[in-house]
Amino acid sequence: MNTDVQIAIVGSAGDGTIAAGDILRRAMAEIGYRVISFDLYPAEIRGFGKCIARLRVSDEQAYSLKQKSDILVSLDDSHAIPHVGEAREWGAVIYETNSVNPLPEGAHLSAHIDPGQVPYNVPIRELAEKSTGAARSRNIVVVGYIIGLMRLPLEPALRALTGKFKGKGEIAQKNEAALRAGYEEGLRWFRLDDIEFGPPPAQERGAHLEMINGNAAIVRGALDAGIDTFFGYPITPATSIMERLASEMPKRGARLVQTEDEIAAISATLGAGFAGARAATATSGPGLSLMAEMLGFGVIAEVPSVVFVSQRGGPSTGMPTKHEQSDLNMAVFGGHGDAPRIVIAPTNVEGCYRCAGRAFEMAEAYQTPVIVLLDLYLSNRYETVPFPDRPPFEADTNRYADTRGGAAGFQRYVLTADGVSPRSTPGQPGGMHVATGLEHNELGRPNDQPDMHLAQSRKRHEKLKAALRHPGFEPAKRFGDTGAVDVGLVAWGSSFGECLEAMYLAQEEGIRCAALKVLMISPFPVEMATSFLADCKEVLVPEVNYQGQFAGILQMQVPRAVTRMTRIPCAPMRVEEILDEIRRLAGRVVEPQAA
Amino acid sequence: MGEIRPVYLEDKLKEVEDSGRLDYRSKALPTWCPGCGYFSIVEAVATALCELGIPNENAVMVSGIGCSSRFPFFINTYGIHTLHGRALPSALGVKTANPALTVVAVGGDGDGFAIGGGHVPHAARRNLDITYLLFDNGIYGLTKGQTSPTSAIGFKTPTSPYANPDRPLNPLLMLLSYGASWVGQSYAGDPEHLRSMVRQALEHRGFSYLHILSPCVTFDKTHRTYVNLGMQVHPLPATHDPADKLAAMGEAMKNEQAPAVGLYYREQRPTLDDALDALVEKAGGEKRGLRGGRGRKLR
Repeated sequence: MNTDVQIAIVGSAGDGTIAAGDILRRAMAEIGYRVISFDLYPAEIRGFGKCIARLRVSDEQAYSLKQKSDILVSLDDSHAIPHVGEAREWGAVIYETNSVNPLPEGAHLSAHIDPGQVPYNVPIRELAEKSTGAARSRNIVVVGYIIGLMRLPLEPALRALTGKFKGKGEIAQKNEAALRAGYEEGLRWFRLDDIEFGPPPAQERGAHLEMINGNAAIVRGALDAGIDTFFGYPITPATSIMERLASEMPKRGARLVQTEDEIAAISATLGAGFAGARAATATSGPGLSLMAEMLGFGVIAEVPSVVFVSQRGGPSTGMPTKHEQSDLNMAVFGGHGDAPRIVIAPTNVEGCYRCAGRAFEMAEAYQTPVIVLLDLYLSNRYETVPFPDRPPFEADTNRYADTRGGAAGFQRYVLTADGVSPRSTPGQPGGMHVATGLEHNELGRPNDQPDMHLAQSRKRHEKLKAALRHPGFEPAKRFGDTGAVDVGLVAWGSSFGECLEAMYLAQEEGIRCAALKVLMISPFPVEMATSFLADCKEVLVPEVNYQGQFAGILQMQVPRAVTRMTRIPCAPMRVEEILDEIRRLAGRVVEPQAA
Repeated sequence: MGEIRPVYLEDKLKEVEDSGRLDYRSKALPTWCPGCGYFSIVEAVATALCELGIPNENAVMVSGIGCSSRFPFFINTYGIHTLHGRALPSALGVKTANPALTVVAVGGDGDGFAIGGGHVPHAARRNLDITYLLFDNGIYGLTKGQTSPTSAIGFKTPTSPYANPDRPLNPLLMLLSYGASWVGQSYAGDPEHLRSMVRQALEHRGFSYLHILSPCVTFDKTHRTYVNLGMQVHPLPATHDPADKLAAMGEAMKNEQAPAVGLYYREQRPTLDDALDALVEKAGGEKRGLRGGRGRKLR
């Protein structure tokens, strides 16, 4: 029996919608299922905006949410009515039986349920009031109800509840009563046959499963790689990286300083990198723009450093709480001069962990700034991640110079076969040198002769190619059908999840289809992309920006015609839309979609 | 002025060689114009490092961009010659990563108070344990003589051909109010005084700010010349108490007429390192000892 159930809870700000989703996904993860979850909430902290918590529970880690939910819960009918269609045929729609006030005709959800959907009208408010004396715990009642309805164990949800309301004695007690009341009610109702929760999958050996979002995974990766210093400035949606590090780093003797701006953050990060620390900062698009000049310094002075960037809608202040993938050009090309750097973009939460750790290894090994490019969707989305019991990262990937007895000046930028010069750090006798933003000779002294500029420029570019073969890191990976295909998708970042989902659906329809996940965008895995594109009759490049920035980079590296699919819905791309494009490119008839 | 004695070149050379301070001079020759005041600052820093017995490899000179910011190339220690205005935040990174290092940030008036002005208050208020040497010549030398934030009203330059209308900043007063824990002023034309002040600044535990007045002999023939400065510069009153911040501010205000050199203000208070260590203790973490670029792994 396979488990693949998606639950959506729709409510209004203040209903506890997101909290309910959080308890539910934590409970599911503790039972041992794999979870992916992304919440939608209004930009404003207060008010009556729409909130939706969505979670998909399955045996194998899913890469994206499904188009249709198996269970839809309404905590506020006015917001839920437009979403009723999200519940699939024979899916459950759970809603309040008794509204507080008499509602005008059509304002109650019961009037909007489609034929085929299964209505569950539950006295949610009454259960909350009876068990806790107030209606506030409606959200918790619903969590208990779903668990009871699905005949799942209650204990994991109880523990998730305890964790969430730790140290809030009376509230915790009331919530527990509400959870139990909902659970008992759920047990009394008939269970739907085609919403199935099978036994949870076996746990991987040498790893433990945790529910975590992208930003938290970045933090975990940074800590497991032994981060020494962090300098940052708050900015949505990257802030929680700094907040989490602020509480975790001191526990490990590491240091974090909130700087006066992003320019100071990157300057200090490079200062610490120069001093030999594993140093990082985190920001979003506007901060990355401010950091551009200093990143160029990191490139020419060859200073190891890591910049985590979580993209949001741009340009300028843009849309701070909306998803977009429009800072790719800035990350890869931002700043003046020929300034090559490493840019990697994880595609899921587990990838955030791995990319964060590997970024520190790469920064040291190739002596360069490394940008890890996330986006709002990935930063905030929760997934179950099997964390290895022993961190898979190397603690030190520096190539140190032996400077003992060096009477002549130390050649910090000596020209080597692979372009990486052995380095020294302050405190090391005989290794004194100046790291400068001026073009320089092997000694690091200012030098603007054409031969030297060419030699040093070549060194800075060529040394990065080794990153494409970095141990434990795949710069690109192919999924789907092997050999020649009708449609090949090339995708990066969080969009890859939706592409993969669309690809599987297209395969089910008999379309020969494959997808290339590109993790390293600079330097670009040209060979892998070339051989993949050679297999594809049509190439589709979906991404969430207006210009098709990734498609542009792809075509610059591997010249050939591709279909750019650019959408800016201020949210993740829809699987259905990608599927339609695949159908079109494969020559299938596509029904026009209702707006 | 005391008794005047002849100085013989051989004696002077021998004295310099014996002192060991040449070890702190790099083999690169300064790129400054003959007569520039900055030469005496190189000499003062080399002497201070030597006298304090700081090993070459344990000191880092951090600078931004400008004539003065070429400084790290002329001292035989580690150095970073960063971007215009970014010496202080870069120094923050170096010192935070490895508190055992002696970190000296250097830069000019444009670097520190125009483009980099936003960083100065924060380095000062955090009491970052570094020394900041500000070479003030009241002009942009490297771009050939434009006005700077400390240029006098009425100064004619290529970017202010009808005379500069802007008031100059009062850096000493600013640093005092920012919370710098050591504030002093010296003059490049008085090497003895400069050496002593640089040494005191390096010895101070906390953020020490030394403002060094220096003429630009190439682009300023009218205002901040050796002749003018020589007439204006005078010592702080012997009665000045460096523990008295209000008095220090009063003296700093008088700078707008004629600059007084000496130690304006000094206090002892916890540094940023202390604060970060306290944080580690509070969180129940273990101090890493010499974090020094993961210093434990260095040979």
